[in-house]
Amino acid sequence: MNATIAWITARGLFGRSRFLLLFPLPLILIGMAWLGSSLGHPEEFAFPVLGGIGIATLLPVTALIVGTAVLGSEIDDGTVVHILTKPIPRWKIVLSKLVVAFGVTTITVAVPMLIAGIVTDGWRLGLGLAAASAVGALAYSALFIALSVLTRRPVLVGLLYVMIWEGLLSNAVSGTRVLSIQQYVISLAHKWADTSLINGTVSITVAFIMSAVFTALGFCFATDRLRSFSVAGETS
Amino acid sequence: MSADGAVQNSVIHDIGYQRYDGPRLSRGYAARSLFVHGLRASFGLGRSAKAKIFPWIIIGIVSAIALIVAVVRAQGGETDIGYQDLPQVASFLILIFLAVVAPELVSRDLRNHLLPLYFSRPVGRVDYVLAKLGALVVAAWLILAGPQLLIFVASAFGGADFLGELKDLLGGFAMAAMYAVLFGTVSLLIASLASRRAFAAGAIAAVYLISLPVVAVVMALGSETARQIAPMASPFMLPEGIREWIWGNGGDIDVGSYGPAYGVVGLLLPAICVLLLLLRYRRVSL
Repeated sequence: MNATIAWITARGLFGRSRFLLLFPLPLILIGMAWLGSSLGHPEEFAFPVLGGIGIATLLPVTALIVGTAVLGSEIDDGTVVHILTKPIPRWKIVLSKLVVAFGVTTITVAVPMLIAGIVTDGWRLGLGLAAASAVGALAYSALFIALSVLTRRPVLVGLLYVMIWEGLLSNAVSGTRVLSIQQYVISLAHKWADTSLINGTVSITVAFIMSAVFTALGFCFATDRLRSFSVAGETS
Repeated sequence: MSADGAVQNSVIHDIGYQRYDGPRLSRGYAARSLFVHGLRASFGLGRSAKAKIFPWIIIGIVSAIALIVAVVRAQGGETDIGYQDLPQVASFLILIFLAVVAPELVSRDLRNHLLPLYFSRPVGRVDYVLAKLGALVVAAWLILAGPQLLIFVASAFGGADFLGELKDLLGGFAMAAMYAVLFGTVSLLIASLASRRAFAAGAIAAVYLISLPVVAVVMALGSETARQIAPMASPFMLPEGIREWIWGNGGDIDVGSYGPAYGVVGLLLPAICVLLLLLRYRRVSL
């Protein structure tokens, strides 16, 4: 962890008016939860709102934008060279980026999830959702940071993962759920909130272990790739 | 009178600079070049092999779907996917394609501060916007219309009713155009607001993805009227609603008596996006 790198990364994320981009989605989530609670029963709207909007859209999209921006945009600009030439171990660089991505994603997602959960069914649900989204934010951030070192098109690959793998395949083919962060978050939320409003499909042990695996693998992969990173520019 | 003396002594040397007095290509030519370049860039033509991988994967997948449909039809089987269903089946792929290509077309110009260079040429702002938009929409349309043509060729030569197939194909082209215009204008507008490609792509995906569950929730909770109006809010469902209104075969979307409203929204949304794009490009910087 290097405070200077973390500080520069955070400033790059929030610089100009870019942070405004992160606001609309959480507001929509809270708005829909409020609309649902004023119109219908929690059984009807809880899963479409909290699962469909919150866990399946808000969390991965925020993590994708933030996770690929912390390292990917620096690689795009070529400014990553300035960090790489400093005598800082690669794992510290990746860790700093991961901490910032995780922190920003968690704040942007867990807080609205907490509020939406409270509006829907009280504190227990809100806290369970917030904690589960924090775990998901960590796994997603590690994955997307690794992607931004592995490929020049991290957003593209990330979108394919979120939309095709988690969105389309996981609904149709149950086998892919074991490798879907979205399913871990749903399972963890189900367990921690102790509610039947959100039902997970993978077991809690699998969810926990696989989240850790995603995080650890993403971190190690990014560190390893950054070790032999080619700074040659290409404009394809 | 030293000043006068200086004037008299100074000479302008003719070192051979010449004005260009050959034929000048028109503003239309410049706009056309911008369009052609944008269209080529969408498919990675004239770029490195890496840039070609992704667009051609998308084309390959959509063509594969079309090929399967064509084969099933040739075997005499029934498919759920007709010409007009193909755009909906491929809508996620088109969205990912646009989320990648739209920033490629406009965000790079912003990032590299190319706009002042463009606008100091005869290319006007309107030309620039329309050329880029045209390239994006045509690219999206080609990805859908090509595979539709593939199904048509396979069916028409397979001995099916030629005129009937042709009519269906034209209906399919119209649906493809609807998707291309709706998706293209919205994507380009979002992309033109971000100078980083990654941010632009994320923002485009976010807008489209969030609209689906929001509409689903409103449809689940609301009254009959809400169920019939809500799909308008999602770019994925709006074209299907318009299809239900015009052809009456939109499938899962019930538009009730609001069909004309879908038509109006379908016209207004792209129009407003183009208007906002033109407004946005009155300023060169972000």
